[in-house]
Amino acid sequence: MKRWEEIADATLGFAASAILFVMMALTFADVVSRYVFNAPLRGAFEVTELMLLVLIFAGLPLVSHADEHVTMDFIDKLLWPGAIAVLERVVQAVCAGIMFLLTWQVWLKAGKIASYADTTDVMRIPVAPFVYFMAAMIGLTGLVHFYRVFVPSRRRAAQAST
Amino acid sequence: MIETLIGLAAMMLLSFVRIPIALSMGIVGVVGYAYMRDWNWAPAFAMAQTQIYETGRNYTLSVVPLFILMGTFVARAGMAEELFRAAYAFLGHRKGGLAMATVVAAAGFGGPCGSSIATAATMAKVAYPSLKRFGYADYLSTGSIAAGGTLGILIPPSTMMVIYGIITQTNIALLFAAGMLPGLLATVLLCVAVRYMVWRDPAAGPPGERTPWPERWKALRGIGAITALFAFSIGGIFVGLFTATEGAGVGAFVSMAFALWRRSLTWRTLYDSLVEGARTTSMIFLILIGALMFGEFVNITSMPGDLKAFVGRFALHPFMVVAAIMVIYVLLGTAMEELSMILLTLPVFFPIIVHLGLDPVWFGILIVCVVEIGLISPPVGMNLFVLSTLIPEVPTRTVFRGVMPFVLIDCVRLAILVAFPIISTWLPSLMK
Repeated sequence: MKRWEEIADATLGFAASAILFVMMALTFADVVSRYVFNAPLRGAFEVTELMLLVLIFAGLPLVSHADEHVTMDFIDKLLWPGAIAVLERVVQAVCAGIMFLLTWQVWLKAGKIASYADTTDVMRIPVAPFVYFMAAMIGLTGLVHFYRVFVPSRRRAAQAST
Repeated sequence: MIETLIGLAAMMLLSFVRIPIALSMGIVGVVGYAYMRDWNWAPAFAMAQTQIYETGRNYTLSVVPLFILMGTFVARAGMAEELFRAAYAFLGHRKGGLAMATVVAAAGFGGPCGSSIATAATMAKVAYPSLKRFGYADYLSTGSIAAGGTLGILIPPSTMMVIYGIITQTNIALLFAAGMLPGLLATVLLCVAVRYMVWRDPAAGPPGERTPWPERWKALRGIGAITALFAFSIGGIFVGLFTATEGAGVGAFVSMAFALWRRSLTWRTLYDSLVEGARTTSMIFLILIGALMFGEFVNITSMPGDLKAFVGRFALHPFMVVAAIMVIYVLLGTAMEELSMILLTLPVFFPIIVHLGLDPVWFGILIVCVVEIGLISPPVGMNLFVLSTLIPEVPTRTVFRGVMPFVLIDCVRLAILVAFPIISTWLPSLMK
């Protein structure tokens, strides 16, 4: 991994982990506040919603960068190493293409939301900037895949979800 | 009907050439949707936009990162040592006692942890050295670790149940409640398998020393914290003290505080846990968005109606249908990665279950069980790979041999759960 790659990965990782930490702390504080002080935190609900949105899409470039998407790897056993290397690049190019398409679509969605100035119910937080952020992060994910077409990742990550 | 089958085939093909499964589902979902609207792309893209945006901005789904985080903290808090010691204190003096202690400790650890692979990996580190020291045969040791590890996704909370719940829109709290009794049943049956193996080959699992009662109580006190954590966060959800999301948030926070207090979690590992949690969350949500897009496509095809007609025409008994689906899953699970297997097949099988009027919660537990079997059935089982990596001195052949009795007893458990839905549905029925 190159130096700038490490820095970019760490920056985004820090942002995502900070959001996750705050989300957890906020949920805990909300429950404590409700039971101990009989006063639920106002707007905790919608702040959590927006944080989840940021968390998911800030993490997406990290997942792609670490090559952690769930894939089927039967074909690795059928092909010879040279062919796998070529296939790997083609797959990355396809992923990049799809991510760029989705970037465009989510950007359109953000535009729509901005045009009717949608805000959250309680705290009146404008929603559109968050959706633009989503689009930007999906775009960044596309760039990661595009980069991987030329610089393949060295390791195949183990799948840890089950 | 035919368009859904083509869609499924296309999805399989794309996944087969290693396109991430999430994207395969998304591509087929959007293209299929456009096709059903006479190649009109506007509604297809509008559907894609809506699915991406609304899945991201959905309060109930914040349960996912919080439970994942709780599992990561529990895994790092190092409570597995105490669990193993306590289980050993009560079971160690019996034949095969150490292997049974491994299974019981895995059940206790796998509860709050929620991931089978993490549970197996942790037990390999904690239990294997003791098993080795007491002269246990490698096949029994690795078999019980691999099989015990799978309990991580059956005993709540469980990432697999969360994924199933989201994709099929089944209540996650009910799924968690449903997993409790099958989890106990599984633990008991795995111990039975250990006893059987020791009966066949007494030298494989010699009894350890008897632990005197005062020591036992002391060992039991050592696991007070993890028990309290589990009882509080999961029990709190069951009795309605808080929602699943709140239970997850409280569970994550308390386990973090506990791990920091014990100094088994440093600021560095805390940070690592958070990054890991964030990445896993993104990965799961991408899958979720892809699966929902595919689901939107299936919904506007004639598939649901055709299936209804199909099952009606043959007047199949619902249990026969479920049994057939389970056989397919167990066979597929030997060769496929389990999460992919479930994601690719659920859009087809789940509507049948709903149409037959069967309980989606019960079916969810069965799904978790086939995933567990798949995780330990050779040749492709993640838990076996994890063990081969962590304990390289034991040959893969030995690991495969040792796990077979456990695979068989897991199949017996699956049959019991199919035959007696009440085991899965009784606890959730108390919550409604």
